[in-house]
Amino acid sequence: MLRELGSLTRREFLKLGRNPQAIFTALLLPLLYLLLFGQGFNINPAEFAPSYFTAAQKLALIHLYFRGAPSYYSYFAPGMVGFVAVTATLFIGANVIFDKLFGIFKRVRGTPAPTAAVFGSRLIAGSAQPIALSFFVLGLAILFAHIPGLTGLTVTASVGIVGGAEIVVSILLLALMFATLFLTMGILIENPQMYFAAVNLLNLPVLLTSDALYPWGSMPAWLKNVSQYNPVSLTVNVLRETLFGSSMYPYTPAIYLLGLFAWAAVLIGIALVLVRRALRPLD
Amino acid sequence: MQTSQIIQAENLVKVYNGTVRAVDGVSFHVNRGEIFGFLGPNGAGKTTTVSMLSASLRPTSGKAVIDGLEVSKDPDGVKRRIGVIFQESTADGDLTGRENIEVAAGCYGMLRSEGRKRSEALLEQMQISEASERLAKTYSGGMRRRLELAVGLVHDPKILFLDEPTLGLDPQGRNGFWGFVQKLRKDEGVTVFVTTHYLDEADTMCDRLAIIDHGKIVATGSPSELKDRLGGDIVTIKTAPGAPDVTRVLQSLIGVHTVQKQDDTYRIKCANGEPFVPVAVEACTKAGAAVMGVTVKRPSLDEVFLEFTGREFREEEGMDATARAVMVQRVQDRFGGRR
Repeated sequence: MLRELGSLTRREFLKLGRNPQAIFTALLLPLLYLLLFGQGFNINPAEFAPSYFTAAQKLALIHLYFRGAPSYYSYFAPGMVGFVAVTATLFIGANVIFDKLFGIFKRVRGTPAPTAAVFGSRLIAGSAQPIALSFFVLGLAILFAHIPGLTGLTVTASVGIVGGAEIVVSILLLALMFATLFLTMGILIENPQMYFAAVNLLNLPVLLTSDALYPWGSMPAWLKNVSQYNPVSLTVNVLRETLFGSSMYPYTPAIYLLGLFAWAAVLIGIALVLVRRALRPLD
Repeated sequence: MQTSQIIQAENLVKVYNGTVRAVDGVSFHVNRGEIFGFLGPNGAGKTTTVSMLSASLRPTSGKAVIDGLEVSKDPDGVKRRIGVIFQESTADGDLTGRENIEVAAGCYGMLRSEGRKRSEALLEQMQISEASERLAKTYSGGMRRRLELAVGLVHDPKILFLDEPTLGLDPQGRNGFWGFVQKLRKDEGVTVFVTTHYLDEADTMCDRLAIIDHGKIVATGSPSELKDRLGGDIVTIKTAPGAPDVTRVLQSLIGVHTVQKQDDTYRIKCANGEPFVPVAVEACTKAGAAVMGVTVKRPSLDEVFLEFTGREFREEEGMDATARAVMVQRVQDRFGGRR
């Protein structure tokens, strides 16, 4: 099993490495969001505060609006991490569909390589990119804070080993969860148009019902309620709470992580049942 | 104990959606070390049969045994004994020739070092060593086919299933490919099960054939046995313009089955063409019809096909499949293999 997994994973990474344009495109989206959207949309609610507000009151307003973050950009950057962890996994399923169309999937299924190796190799390679991209976004946003003329992510709390580990685990869980989901859809769906339609049907509602990009203070109450169960929000909450040491969250990062584990267990469980059924030998 | 029959299909049936009987009670066997051709028009059940034999599809009923293993009971065991070369090009365009073979070796549980050794030997054997470090998408059609053959042979299988292996190749590529297959059979005793649209290939390369139509086997035998069943040769005699009709004269000769006349040309089906020619020429001359030309033709597989299926082996069916293969190839080239 390990040899088959190793060999098929090597194939995925070789193919990924030979497509620099795919890597460039994947980097471009978060880069544009960080450089353009984040910079341009960097609203400051203190500017609209009554003139009699003191500096401390204005800061409190900013914290209230952005759940403890010192600026919209600092609030938005962890949201982008969650956003990228989901959107960069989309192609994992599309690649399976193209491999099915070109007969490559059939050829691999014609060997005795176990289903777990076929699935696992794609999951490893397919989630490595969003995971790497998520950390790239986080690092770049922090770097921007140190470049004159740019706004960046300002970390206002000291992130210890536990906090760092919580951030890493939350990103891994989110990327793996969605990679599993999209990979399963790629295995079950036969044509690319249908796949992308299904992905958009799932992807957009998930992202738009999270608090990844909306300023918390401007969200309607019902959306705040919905967003607290969203897996993207759970990951983003872990990041924001850890990076800003905020007390404006009802639960600790560990609790949000538990929520993420629960989501991951349910989604991965369902996906594995469907995949096992779809990739049964002799079917 | 090894039996001489390496593939046995016993009353194989595949029903899709509860109504479409794609394969309808197919039984045949393939002997160890032979090249066995499986012929039939599109939709006849060829690919479904191959899929059931190669452990990719569960039969609705019936049994398939590959080298002593029942396919439905031990599909992985069967997959270790067979190599499958699919109709479409399945080489990974973004991997080099060597990497394609090494990845395939890993799929059979081989160590990386074993895979490397095996790929070296196969690249040499298939005469693509010089291109081994090039991406497969830069290979010509013939080279790709040889690479796919190398990939199919990586685990040293006893049986090779070739599904339309020379589709889309030029005559040189086809000859080259068959040269490798013949050598494999001769040197390594590999049994070859091949489906093809090219009846001339089936005629010259296959030891035995089965013809499938509407999901049923309609004939099996060696190419010459099948042709003999048609009752002999076809002699064509062209007489001088305006010569008297000699149809009755020809019909009265010994060994003649049928005579068809069109203008001044007679198409005679007879038991044995060559000794018949001087007798027929003499009879025509005596009847006052000067003979201008004679040809003797053994019946081709086209005629065998016509006889057993009631229709001609339409060329356009081959064209459809060729066009599809070419289209897939173009898309793969365009998108660099896939991504």
